[in-house]
Amino acid sequence: MGKAFDIMLIFEFIPTLIHYLGVTLQILAVSIILGFVLGIAAAIPRLYKIPLLNQLVILYVSFIRGTPILIQLFLVFYGLPALLMLLFSIDITRMEAIYFVIITYAISNGAGFSEIFRAAIRAVDYGQTEAAFSVGMTSRQNFFRIVLPQAVRIAFPNMANSVIGSLKDTSLAFTIGVMDMMGRGDTLIAATAHALEVYLSLSIIYYIVVLLFEKIFSKLEKYFNRYQKADVTAVA
Amino acid sequence: MIYLKGIKKSFNQLPVLKGINLKIEKGEVVTILGPSGSGKTTLLRCLNFLEKPNAGLVQIGNIIVDAEKATKKEMLAIRKQSAMVFQHYNLFAHKTVVENVMEGLIVAKKVKKKDARQQSERVLDKVGLSDKLDHYPSQLSGGQQQRVGIARALALNPEVILFDEPTSALDPELVGDVLSVIKSIAQEGITMVVVTHEMSFAREVSNRVLFMDEGVIVEEGTPLEIFHAAKEERTRRFLQRISGETYFLPLKEQVN
Amino acid sequence: MTIDIPFIWVAFKEIIKALPITLILTIVPLLAGFLIGIVVALVRIYKLKYLYRIANGYVSFFRGTPIIMHIMVIYFGFPLLLDQISLRFDLGLQTNNIPIILFVLIALTLAAGSYLSEIIRSGIISVSNGQLEAAYSVGMTKFQAMIRIILPQALAQSIPNFTNIFVGFLHTSSIAFLVSQKEVTGAANIVASVNLKFLEAFIAAGIIYWGITILVEGISFLLEKKVTAYNRGGVS
Repeated sequence: MGKAFDIMLIFEFIPTLIHYLGVTLQILAVSIILGFVLGIAAAIPRLYKIPLLNQLVILYVSFIRGTPILIQLFLVFYGLPALLMLLFSIDITRMEAIYFVIITYAISNGAGFSEIFRAAIRAVDYGQTEAAFSVGMTSRQNFFRIVLPQAVRIAFPNMANSVIGSLKDTSLAFTIGVMDMMGRGDTLIAATAHALEVYLSLSIIYYIVVLLFEKIFSKLEKYFNRYQKADVTAVA
Repeated sequence: MIYLKGIKKSFNQLPVLKGINLKIEKGEVVTILGPSGSGKTTLLRCLNFLEKPNAGLVQIGNIIVDAEKATKKEMLAIRKQSAMVFQHYNLFAHKTVVENVMEGLIVAKKVKKKDARQQSERVLDKVGLSDKLDHYPSQLSGGQQQRVGIARALALNPEVILFDEPTSALDPELVGDVLSVIKSIAQEGITMVVVTHEMSFAREVSNRVLFMDEGVIVEEGTPLEIFHAAKEERTRRFLQRISGETYFLPLKEQVN
Repeated sequence: MTIDIPFIWVAFKEIIKALPITLILTIVPLLAGFLIGIVVALVRIYKLKYLYRIANGYVSFFRGTPIIMHIMVIYFGFPLLLDQISLRFDLGLQTNNIPIILFVLIALTLAAGSYLSEIIRSGIISVSNGQLEAAYSVGMTKFQAMIRIILPQALAQSIPNFTNIFVGFLHTSSIAFLVSQKEVTGAANIVASVNLKFLEAFIAAGIIYWGITILVEGISFLLEKKVTAYNRGGVS
C-alpha cells in the first residue's frame, strides 16, 4: 500500500490533473452533441410509431438502460472493430481509445435523450396543438413554433441531470486507456504511490466542475421557466 | 357564408353526428344549445377540422371541402378561414399576450412582424388588455386569458369565429366580462358560432338558436321562437331543466 | 477478429456464477443507504441545527463526484485511517486482513445514502400539506403524522425513483471490478482474458445485466400498481 498520507500533495496534484480536464470536457461535449442528434433521431420513430424502427429504438433504449456504462464501453471497444471488419473490412483496431469512448457515450446519451425528448413532447398539452391548428398553422409550424419550445423547457432539468451524470461517467474512460484526468491520475499513482491523495484531488476537481455545471443549469432553467407561474410569485 | 351538408362523425363506431345540414349567413350569430353528449362541440370542431368528419361537405367562405377526401392542404385552407375560442383558452404558454395574438398573423397570414404587432395591439385594446401586452398567460386570470383567446381569434379577421363553451371554465364573477366582450364583437357583424350554456347570451345576442340532441339538430329558430314557443318536446324539456338553474337568474338581474 | 457465438453461452454459464456478489454489492448498500437516506432527509427537512449543514454537504459532495472516487478513496483511505487509530490505541489491527469487499460496500452505502435521501426528501415534500393538517386534526403528534401518514405516501410515490436507483446501483456495482472484485464484470474480465475472447465475455455479461434490469423493472411496475392502489383517481 501507499506511503504516509500527505495533505499537501493533494494541492500539488490538482494543477497537474486539471491540465487534463480539457480531455474530459471534450469527451463530454462531443458525446453530448452526438447524443443529442441521435436522441432526436431515435425519438421520432417512437413518437410517430414508425413500424420496425419503433421496435428497434425500444430495443436500443432498453439495452442501454439495462447495462452498465462500463460494459457498453467494453462492447464498443472490442465489438466495433470486429463489426466493421466483418461488414466492411475496415480495420479500426488502431483507432485512438478516445474515439471509442466518445462513440460509447454518444450511444448511451442518445438513448437517454430520446426518452427525455419523447416524454417532454408528450407532456405538452394537446390544446396547444389545437390552438395552433385553429389559427391556421401547419403540422410542421405547430411542431417547431409551439410544441418544441415548450418541450425544451420541460426536458431541460432532465437533460441537465443527464449531462452531469455523463460528466461523472467519463471517469470510467481510463479503463480502456484514455489519457484524461483519471488516466493521468493513474500514472501519477504509479509514479508517486500516493493513490489516496490523487483520488482526493480528482474528487475535488470533479466536485467543483459539477457544482459549476449545476449553477449554470439552474440559471438556464430559470430563463426557460420565465413564463411559468412559479416565476411570477417569485417576482411579486 | 358557412354551409354544411350531411356531416357525419363517429367515435369508435359510436355515431356522434348523424348527418348535419346547416347554412349560416354572413354576419349571423348562431348559438348551439343542447345537453352534454349531444354532439354540439363535435359539430363546432368539425367546422375547422379539429375533428375530421367521416362524411359530408364543409364550406366556409369560398373554400369547399369534401370531408371524406379532405387533404391536409384543404383542411389548412378551411382553418385559415376560421378561428376558434377554446373552453380552456389554450393560449400558447411560452408566448406573451401580444405574441399570442401575433402568432397566427405572422405564420398563417404572413403579415410582417411590425404590422402584426400593431394589429394585435389594436385588438387587445378592444378587449381591454392593452396594459397586459407583455405578460405571459400564466400571469393572467381566467377571464383575462379568455379575452386574449378572443383577441387571438379576432385579429385573424376570419370568415367565422367558433366559440367552444367560452365561459364554462371561468369563475362565475369573471363570466360577465368575457360575455360582454363577445357581445360587443357580435354587434360588429362578425359571423359567430357559439356553443354555450349561457342562456342569457343565447337569448340576447344570437340571431338564431340551434337545439341539438343525440347527434341531430332537433329544432332551430330565433331566440324568441326557441325560448318561448319551442315546438319539440325535447327542446322544452331541456330548457325547463336548465331554467331551474340559470335561465331565471339573468332575468332577475335584469329586473333589479 | 471474428465472433465466437457458442462461446457466449459458455461465458454466460461461467459469469452468472458471480451474480450473487453483484447482487450483494447492489442490495446491501441500498438497504443500509436507505436508513441513512431517511435520517438525512428528515434532518434536512426539519433543518436540525448544524446537523443539517453536514447533511447538505454530504449529499451535495457524494452526488457531485463519481462513485469510482468514493470507492477508491475509501479503498485507499480507510486502511490508512484504521492503521493510525490502531497505532494510537495499540489495538494491533491488521488492516491487510480486511476483505476488500467491505470497503466497496461502505463506499457504495455512503453513495446510496446520498442519492436515496434526495428521493425520500422529494417524496416527503410532494405529499400535500393537507395530509399533515388532517393528521394533526385527528390528534396525531408531528412524529406520528410523519411515520403513519406522510412517509408511507412518500415512499409509495417514490417507487419509480427507487427502481431507477436500484438499476443504477446494479450497474454501478460493476466498478467494483476495478478493485478486483469477482462480481459479474470482474468475472467477465477473467473469462475474457483467460480465453482471449473479450467481446463474447462482455456480451454475456451485458445479457446478464440486461436481464436483471428488465426483471427488476417488471417487478417494480407490478409493485407500483399494488402500492398506489389508493391513488387510483377518477381520471385514469
